[in-house]
Order: sequence, then C-alpha cells, then structure tokens
Amino acid sequence: MRLQTVAAYAQIQATTRALYADTLSLTEWDALIRAPDFAGLLSNLSETAYAPTLELDPLLLTPRRAAYQIRWRLVEVYEKLLRRTPATLRPLLLQLWRLFEVDNLKAALRGIAVGAPWPQIRHLLYPLSRYAQLTLEDLERMVRAGTVVRAVERLRDTPYYETLAHALDRYVLEGRPFPLEIALDLAYRRELWRDVEALSGKDREQALELVGTLLDVDNLLWALRFRIYHHLSSEEIINYTLVTGYRLRDEDVRAIAAGEDVRAIAHRVFPRVAPQPEQSPLLTDRAWLIDLEQRLERHVMRLCLRAFRGEPFHAGLPLALLRIQEREVQDLTLLIEAKAGYTPRETFLPLLVLRPVLLEAAS
Amino acid sequence: MSIFRPQPMKKLHLLVPEDDIIPVTEALAATHTFYLASSEDMDTACVVCAVDEWRQWAVTFADLERRVVAIMESLEVDAGPPPTGTPHLIAPEVARVDVEHLEREVETPVHELEEDYRHLEQLERYVAQIEPLRELDVDLGSLRSLRYLWVMLGQMPLANVERLQSSLEHVLHELVVLRREPPLVTVVLFGLQEDADILERAAHSAYLNPLTPPPDYRGTPAEALEALQAGLARTRQHIAEHEAVVEHLRQMRIRHLRLLLWRLRASRRLVETIATYGRLHFTYLVVGWVPARQVEAVRERVMLASDQTTVDVYAPRAVEEPQIPVVQAKGPGLLTAFQGLVTNYGYPRYGELDPTPIMALTFPLVFGVMFGDVGHGLFLALLGWLLGSRRVRALRSLAGVGPIVAACGGASLLFGFLYGSVFGFEDLLPALWLHPLQNITTVLLATVGFGVGILTLGMVQNMVNAALARDWGHLLFGHSAFAGLLFYWSLVGLAVGSFVPLPVPPRLLLVVAGLSGLALTFGDLFARLLAGYRPLVEGEPFTYVMQGFFELFETVIALLSNTLSYVRMGAFAVAHGALGLVVFILAEMVSPERGVGYWLTVVLGNLFVIGFEGLIVGIQTLRLEYYEFFSKFFSGSGVHPRPLTLVPAPEER
Repeated sequence: MRLQTVAAYAQIQATTRALYADTLSLTEWDALIRAPDFAGLLSNLSETAYAPTLELDPLLLTPRRAAYQIRWRLVEVYEKLLRRTPATLRPLLLQLWRLFEVDNLKAALRGIAVGAPWPQIRHLLYPLSRYAQLTLEDLERMVRAGTVVRAVERLRDTPYYETLAHALDRYVLEGRPFPLEIALDLAYRRELWRDVEALSGKDREQALELVGTLLDVDNLLWALRFRIYHHLSSEEIINYTLVTGYRLRDEDVRAIAAGEDVRAIAHRVFPRVAPQPEQSPLLTDRAWLIDLEQRLERHVMRLCLRAFRGEPFHAGLPLALLRIQEREVQDLTLLIEAKAGYTPRETFLPLLVLRPVLLEAAS
Repeated sequence: MSIFRPQPMKKLHLLVPEDDIIPVTEALAATHTFYLASSEDMDTACVVCAVDEWRQWAVTFADLERRVVAIMESLEVDAGPPPTGTPHLIAPEVARVDVEHLEREVETPVHELEEDYRHLEQLERYVAQIEPLRELDVDLGSLRSLRYLWVMLGQMPLANVERLQSSLEHVLHELVVLRREPPLVTVVLFGLQEDADILERAAHSAYLNPLTPPPDYRGTPAEALEALQAGLARTRQHIAEHEAVVEHLRQMRIRHLRLLLWRLRASRRLVETIATYGRLHFTYLVVGWVPARQVEAVRERVMLASDQTTVDVYAPRAVEEPQIPVVQAKGPGLLTAFQGLVTNYGYPRYGELDPTPIMALTFPLVFGVMFGDVGHGLFLALLGWLLGSRRVRALRSLAGVGPIVAACGGASLLFGFLYGSVFGFEDLLPALWLHPLQNITTVLLATVGFGVGILTLGMVQNMVNAALARDWGHLLFGHSAFAGLLFYWSLVGLAVGSFVPLPVPPRLLLVVAGLSGLALTFGDLFARLLAGYRPLVEGEPFTYVMQGFFELFETVIALLSNTLSYVRMGAFAVAHGALGLVVFILAEMVSPERGVGYWLTVVLGNLFVIGFEGLIVGIQTLRLEYYEFFSKFFSGSGVHPRPLTLVPAPEER
C-alpha cells in the first residue's frame, strides 16, 4: 500500500469513527422512546447530532417535515465520507448514495401515477444535493410534467433514462409504476454489484460481506414477496430478481420460484438468522415473512457493528457506518410517526431495528 | 468631508394601518434607500409577528413562480432583465388563474411537439430494428398468427437475456439475438403456441418489448422499411409545423411570462418582508434605517401610499451603531473603484472613517514604487482606460478595475521618470532620482521610511476614529493611537540616531519611549480611570502587569515586522530593474546582432514583466494595504447595506 493510500485510508477511518461517535447511544434511544409525545421527542432530538437539522420554526416542524429534516443528517454523513474517501472506494460509496436517488425517483413516479401534487411528494424524498445526478429541482420538473411518460422524457440527460424509457411500454400496458420500479431496482443493484466486484483485496472481502449480504437480503425478500404477496409465476420471479449473490445462490431463487418450502430455503441461506421450518409451524407465510424481514435487518446491523471491532484499514468501516446511519434515520422516522400518532410503546418497540442490536452488543 | 465618512443615517419607526401595509412596503422598496431593521427592539410589549398568513402567501407565490418557470422552460424563455420599476403585488387567486390559463395554453402544443419527437424516435427505432431483417421475405404480421409456433420479435435489455433464458429452462423455447446495441438487444423468441401464456409473462417480466410496428408499416421487412421512411418524413414535417406553433406562442407570451414571473418574485419578496414586521393588533410596526438626506423623500413616498401612517425619525443611539448599515458616499469614479477593494476587506463601521480615499492615494503610490517604469506605466494606464471605457465587449466584466489599473499605471509612470526607466531601458531617460539597481541600499532604506510614513498615517487615522467615537481612553492610550505613535516614533528615532546624528538627544527619546511604553502597558487602566469605570483592574494585579508587559512586547514585534514589511517595496523596485536586465540579456542571446529576434524578445519579455510581475506587485500592494496599513485603524466590522427591494437593485443587475 502506498504512503498516499495509507494516508487516505487513515483519514477515512478517523472520519468514520468520529461520525460513529455521533450516532445515537443507547441512553439517547431510551430517552427518545420515553418521550411522552412528538414535541418531547423533538426536544430530546435537539440534544443529539440531529439538532442542526431541526433548527426550524416550530410551527413548520410537522411530523412529516421532521422526518424529512432528519434525513439531512444522513446527507451530511454521506457527504463528509464521500469527500474523504480514497479514490478506489469512491465509486462504491457513490453508488450506495444513489440508492436514495433511486428511491426518490420511485417515489416521484408513484406520486405522478396517482396524481399527487409536488408539495405532497416533496417531503417524502431524500434531500439530495452535491453528489446527486437528480436534484429535487429535477424531480419537481418531472412531477410537474403531469404524466409518467412525459416525466420520463424529462430524464433524458440522466443515467436513468435508458432503463425507464425501455420499461415505459410495460407501464403503458399495465398502467401501474411497478415495472418501472422493478427495472430501476434491478439496474441499480447490478451496478452496485459491479462496483463491489471492481474492488480488490481486503476491501473487496469486506464490501462483499456487507454489500453482498444487503443484496442477498433484498433479492431473497423480493423473491419471497413476489411469491407470497403478488403470486407471480416462476418465470416472473426469476426475471424480477438478481442472478448474482453472496450467500444466496441462483438455485435458491429458482427453488423459491418453483414453489419449494420457503422457510427451509431461508434457513439454508441464513442458518443463524432464519428459524428452522419446524420452529414456526403456526405462523402464516405473511407473518413469517414479516418476522424474517426484522431478523435480516438486525443481522445486517450486527455485521455493521462487527466491522467496527475488526481490522481498521478497509472499506468495511465507512460502509458499515453508512448503513447504521441509514437505519438510525429509518428507526427515528418510525419513532416520529409513532409519537405523533400516540402509538403505544409495545406496538412500535418491536419494530425498531437498531436499538435491540445495540443492546445485544452492550451486553 | 463626506467622502471620508459613511452617510449619516436616521432611524425610522413607521406605524402602518393593516390595510395600507402592502402599498407602504412597496413604496419603501421603491426608494431603494430603506434598510429594514428588526422591530423587536421597539419599546412595546405588544409586538407580535404576523407570520402565518403571510408565510402561507409566500408559499403560494413560490409555488406559482416555479410553475411559471416550468412554462418558460418548456417555451425556452428566459427570465430576462428585472423590470425598472417596482412591480405591484399580484393577488394569489389572480396569479393562479393566470398561471393555470398559461399552463393550459402551452400544454397542448408543447405536448404535441414532444409526442412528435417521441414518435420520430420510435420510428427510428423500428428502422434500426427491422434493418437487419431487410433480406427476410416474410410478412412480420403473419408471425403473430401462426398455428403451432409462438413468436415474439422485440427489444430487451442485454442484462436480462441470461435471466430470461434461465427462467424458461423448463419450457421449450429458442431465443435468437439478432442485433446487439448495448444496453439493448433485438431478439426473436420462439416457442410452442400451447406455452404462449408462460412465454408471454416471461417475456414481459424480462422487459422484452414486442416489436409491433403500426399497421401502416407491416408486410415484409423491406416493405415496412419503405413505409417507415415515408412515416419519418411525415413526422419531421409535423415537428416543423408544431415548432412553428410553439415559436408563435413563445413570441406572443414572452413579455407576459417575464412580467408575471417578476411580479410573482416581487410579491413573494413583499410578503416575506411583511412577515418579518412586528404587529400591534391592526397596526404594523416597521423599523428601518434611511440615509439622513433621504428621510424626507422616503416620508413623502410613504405618505403618498398611506396618509394614515405615522413616521417617527430618530437619531441613532450609540448602542445601535454596530447594527447600522453603512452606506458609503458616492465619490468620483476612481473612488468607487477603490470602494470595491475596501469592501472586499470589510465595511467601515458606522461613524468610522471610510479608508477608501486614503487607499485611492496610497495603493497606486505603493504600486508605483515597486513597478516604476514609464513604458510599463503608460501601458497599464492605457489598459486601465480601455477597461474603464467598456469599449471592448469581452472586457466589460473587468470595467470596475479599469480605474485602479489606470491609477497604478499613472503612479508607475511617475516613478518611471524618477527611476529613469522606459520598458527596461535604463539609459534613454535621465533618472530624476536614482536607478534602483545601482542604489539598492538607498532604495531599501527609502522604502522603510515610506513604510514608517504609511504606518504613521494609519495611526493618525485610528486617532481620528477614536476622537469621532469620543473614545478618549483609546485615543490617548491605544496601541495604534497617541501612546503607540509616540512609542513608535521614539523607537524609530533611536534606531535612526544610532546611524546619523539627530537634532533630538537620544536620552529624551529614551524617556519618551519609556513613558509611552508605560502608558501602553497600563493603557487599559488609564482608559478606565479616564472614563470613570470601576474596577480599574479586572483579575489579579500581577496577571494584569504580566499581560500588559507581554502585550507591549507583542506591540514592539508587530511594529517592527509591519515596518520591515515595506522593505519588499524596495526589493520589488530592484527586482523590476533586474527583470528588465534579464530580458535584454535574453534578447542579446537570441540575436547578438540586434535583429528581429532581439526586438521580439524585448517585446515579449516586457509583456511578461507587465503581466507576471505586475500581478505579483499588485498582490503585494494589496497585502501591504490590508495587513500592514488597515490593521492600524480599520475594523471592517460594519454592516453590509442591503436596501429593501422587491426586484434586484439596479447595481445588482
């Protein structure tokens, strides 16, 4: 490793650890959970790293707006890491960043399809700025185009155009944005996989473990949802999933598509996460899938936390932090909605992903 | 005196009836001389912010503005220059109706044009897809109605080919790739008619879009291609027609759209401004600063807008001075150019001397000392004039620096005569003073003396500032004021006296240095004593004495380094002469017989000296002005003046 590369890695490690120190601690999570209502939650949040994102007129800080504002923290963390990341890691981090761009695009397309106005869509999006290929202004122009076909036309100079333009025929045929979303998801994840494969050495190993597991989780859950919720044909399930995987093999996806026992397959792929089929005989497939989603999310978080205890000079650390930060924002969003709706503690607590994993790690 | 000080300001308190708040705000904005201040400091307990309603309006206007911008983008109309007058508020309902009408009017032709382009693209895609099948003598339409075979000809993403094939591994099929144009491929998928449902679902889920040319373009590939070419020509004709319609619409609506956009922008600014006002039930409280000379004009405009409004005028209080916007006096063109350099450093505080006139004098002088050459000075003076005259379109953006370049050129010309230098030739003119290269020590000492003069000027300015602020303690005991000046001059006297005899005895200088040093060390204590503040010393007396001593030590170091900084002026004057010499040595090497090469080298060398050294000297001059000179008297902590405007002010356009 050249001296320059060592310096770049040292810098990203130091930055990552400094940013990790700003993530919510168990004590802060507990204080947030104990908050009596939405106002109390905001008050507690204003004593954390999220404080600058919430410096807004209290009258404007509705639950939806607060959920939007806290995403600025994610933006901030990404931008800090992207600025300091070594050149070899940068494409992968940028591609991870683009997941939010893809999510924004999907949300905008869904909004257009149901005729939602821009002000209604705006605060559901991630506030992308410096590294975005698709800014909020671009998305607004899309939404104002009025129809999905015209909105896609507005994307002509972006990397998403080819994918969406080709999928438009399917959208016109079916009249729902599902084919567009699937096309975007598949194209994005194929690109992400290519970026992981482009790495070498320890970086590749670490990225494969984290990003590869993430892709496995997505791919497995897609296949399961397509079968359990959407009842798609085996050919459709195969076409709507990825061929590549880290632990999940193509045979596993085909087996799900072919109608084999999904619980056995999930246990085979993630033996320490998914329960054995005989352990949950009374659960319906849907309830089992919801439980599996939770378990897989927590498994990913455990992997991320483990990255902070291992060897320091590799890609795993920033990747893990980004995933933790994203999860933290998602859990906070859930908490905001729960507090705003006065949801009982026993209802929302099991849905939080990060806190139980932190508790495990602490014990 | 006015060019040395920012314009005196008055504070206006306006009590505006609720119904008149819009015309009054418009009137205030139209004056371009009203500087809005916070109404929170008004002595009333009833001030509340009238936020919600106005903010809601602001959101509406922002939304309408975005929609107008979208219409303008679709018609390729830019915003154009802002209007010269202040546009009046447009009612949100009226604006909404107008915007909706425009959207409807524009939507159809623009949509049709987009559709035409899309159709054109589709036809071109068909042509590209069918082209490889040109030789095939089969009716493409007939492939869709075969009895036993199921066939689909179409395009799909290259990345999906492998997935499609594996998804159909249990179904009898054949996938033939006809043409690869990444990221897409043209393929034919064959299978059995009895598997049609499975094959179709698989093909759709792999994003295989069937190639189904419209009925007009069916038949054999050759026939279809012929028909497609005709279709392409027709579509291009439609595009030309629709473009003409859109262009006509653009011409018809361009003024309306621009006017509406600026009105919406002005309306948003207006309501955002009103949202910041204080409110007393049915009255708004507006507070702001106005140049004293403009007060009556502003009052008249307000009265014209609302005779119910009361306007109270107050002189600024001392505690308010740090918040008063500083409006610099308009001087001749040269001063305006140097104002830019001053404000780049900072704005003078209200009541403080504006350093612009003194900078307009010292900046060219310092530059001239370092860059003394008649030829180079003349060149720069002409360049400055050319820039300032705005005759060359490409250089118009640099018009502001024209007078500065011209003034520097003038000073350079003056010192060129003193140094006897013309384009580096040292023997064409007699030196009225000396040739720097031949009198290096004299030049260096002279520039140190020049530095002493400049620093003294800075300290005198600081004393004037202290006197204007009635800060007598600072005036007498400040490090860059009277005590500091005495201390500095006694040290300079002692330094000079050790080389040449002075009319003042060294002992007297020592006594003055000692006394002024003491005054500086205990300056804070004396200042408190003079102003009647207690306690005289804050904290431990020993700490105070040690701190005073170290501050005095720091002052000595700072004065020494500030003074020696000016040696660089002499060094650059010498370097300038040396660079000229280098040019001639190079020219001799290129052409010893002094042919074309010699003169070409001289010309290029001089251009290099003007461009490269001129730039470095300019930067050094700026450094000496900002860090050595300004630090003695100029805080630069004044408030940047931003008058209330609803559209960009004339100077911002």
